[in-house]
Amino acid sequence: MSAVQPLISIEHLEKVYPTSSGDIHALSDVNLSIADGEFVAIVGPSGCGKTTLLKILAGLESHTGGTATIAGAPIAKPRGDVGMVFQKPVLLPWRTIGQNVLLPLELHRKVGRAEKAAAQNLLDMVGLGDFVSKYPKELSGGMQQRAAICRALVHDPAVLLMDEPFGALDAMTRDALNVEVNRIWRETAKTAVLITHSIPEAVFLAQRVIVMSPRPGRIVDVIDVPFGPTRTLDLLGSPEFADLNARIRSYFEVTA
Amino acid sequence: MTTQTITTPSATGPTGQQPRRSRRPSPRRLKSVAGSVLLGVVLLAAWQFVPGWTGTPSYVVPPLSDVLAALTDPTALPRYLSNAGTTLTEVLVGLGIGVVIGLVGGIALAQFRTVYDVVFPYIVAIESIPKVAVAPLFIIWFGFDLPSKIVVVVLLAFFPVLVNTIHGIREVDRDQIELFEANGASPGQIRMKLLLPAALPSIFSGLELAVANSMIGAIVAEFVGAQHGLGVLILQAQGGMQTAAVFALLIILSALGIVLNTIVRMARRKVVFWA
Repeated sequence: MSAVQPLISIEHLEKVYPTSSGDIHALSDVNLSIADGEFVAIVGPSGCGKTTLLKILAGLESHTGGTATIAGAPIAKPRGDVGMVFQKPVLLPWRTIGQNVLLPLELHRKVGRAEKAAAQNLLDMVGLGDFVSKYPKELSGGMQQRAAICRALVHDPAVLLMDEPFGALDAMTRDALNVEVNRIWRETAKTAVLITHSIPEAVFLAQRVIVMSPRPGRIVDVIDVPFGPTRTLDLLGSPEFADLNARIRSYFEVTA
Repeated sequence: MTTQTITTPSATGPTGQQPRRSRRPSPRRLKSVAGSVLLGVVLLAAWQFVPGWTGTPSYVVPPLSDVLAALTDPTALPRYLSNAGTTLTEVLVGLGIGVVIGLVGGIALAQFRTVYDVVFPYIVAIESIPKVAVAPLFIIWFGFDLPSKIVVVVLLAFFPVLVNTIHGIREVDRDQIELFEANGASPGQIRMKLLLPAALPSIFSGLELAVANSMIGAIVAEFVGAQHGLGVLILQAQGGMQTAAVFALLIILSALGIVLNTIVRMARRKVVFWA
């Protein structure tokens, strides 16, 4: 990596859950540095602790050892400069799309004209400009997840965390949203961390793919993705793309 | 012929947009309404004529016309209405207090596990006592006037609201709570902007039960000991063998119940528009 101070720094991170049938070692000696503006994807089988890792970054869960810092500050609780996209859209059904997008701002300051304009801009960017005053149930699953991405960006966070955001969508919607996420990332220059169990999705979006092992979750490899920042669907058919997919998949065939 | 008149409205509305669709009843709904009205007419006609045909004495089952005469009797009507006002006051004041207790208590019990574990068994214990049995005690404590009736109504009204509030808050999606936490929401914000609105559908179910319970509570309390109210009038009419008057009072009572229930259901549709 470059000599620039990383934005996210994880060192010797451990997570042990005590349960009635003994301790569960979810994360073991995880080390990872993520530079400002970088797009990193974390892949691994179910139960490898990748969601736990993301929740620790979001400040939603504590860790039992090691350190995790964002911009040099240890993560102890949810920070204001992190945006989170969940597996489901998690839109509140009693709020319009606009009100849902504004929620993160509304929790910390008064929402005025500037804030509403910011929400409208984001919705315009993902093609939902005309849906500000619609309710979530009037939108398709893909549109709802787009709105959820806008919500994660509305407070202009430094870091965008995504936890298998498109797992519940059909393949075509998923491809379309991946192209969109790539564009949003380039336009907003956010640092992005994507959790996914889709290897092609990880390779398509990320500059680096982190491969994790089953429990206890450890980092088995870090793979640099040699494609430029702009990704298009043509990439999916290229031999380089297939090679990279195969290389990552090989890790899971051995352990399975 | 009937089907023709029923299907025309929806056929003439090709521009049927969403708001219009909800206002315009579907043919199926029209049919069921027509059926209900028809059944009502048949039952009322039976009420009018069957007692005469079977020679049933009018102090057992008075024909409909006697009941309507008792209901609209100009000397009795003002008395009915003022006593209905008393009963309605008991119901509304008791319901109001009961709903507030149920809501506040429900939020507290749902959010604080320890409070729930400590307090809830006692609430269930209190709830399991038949309120009719306790009503005489409230007469001793609070007298024959309004307060003793209101206490009975409160006791009957708060429980369904409490239980449904707890249930509604407990059922809130874990992901939604995490969304608020990840964005640094305070406990107060989570309560007001998430838990309470998310629990509203359940709270309204509790409210509907509470309304029905409140009517029962007020009448039972009046039976036990009171100077005013529809319950008192029913007992008086029964004492004088004025069966038609008893029926007339029951009609007023059910009208009150229907109006209150309708208000709650309309409010539900307005407030909980998303569910």
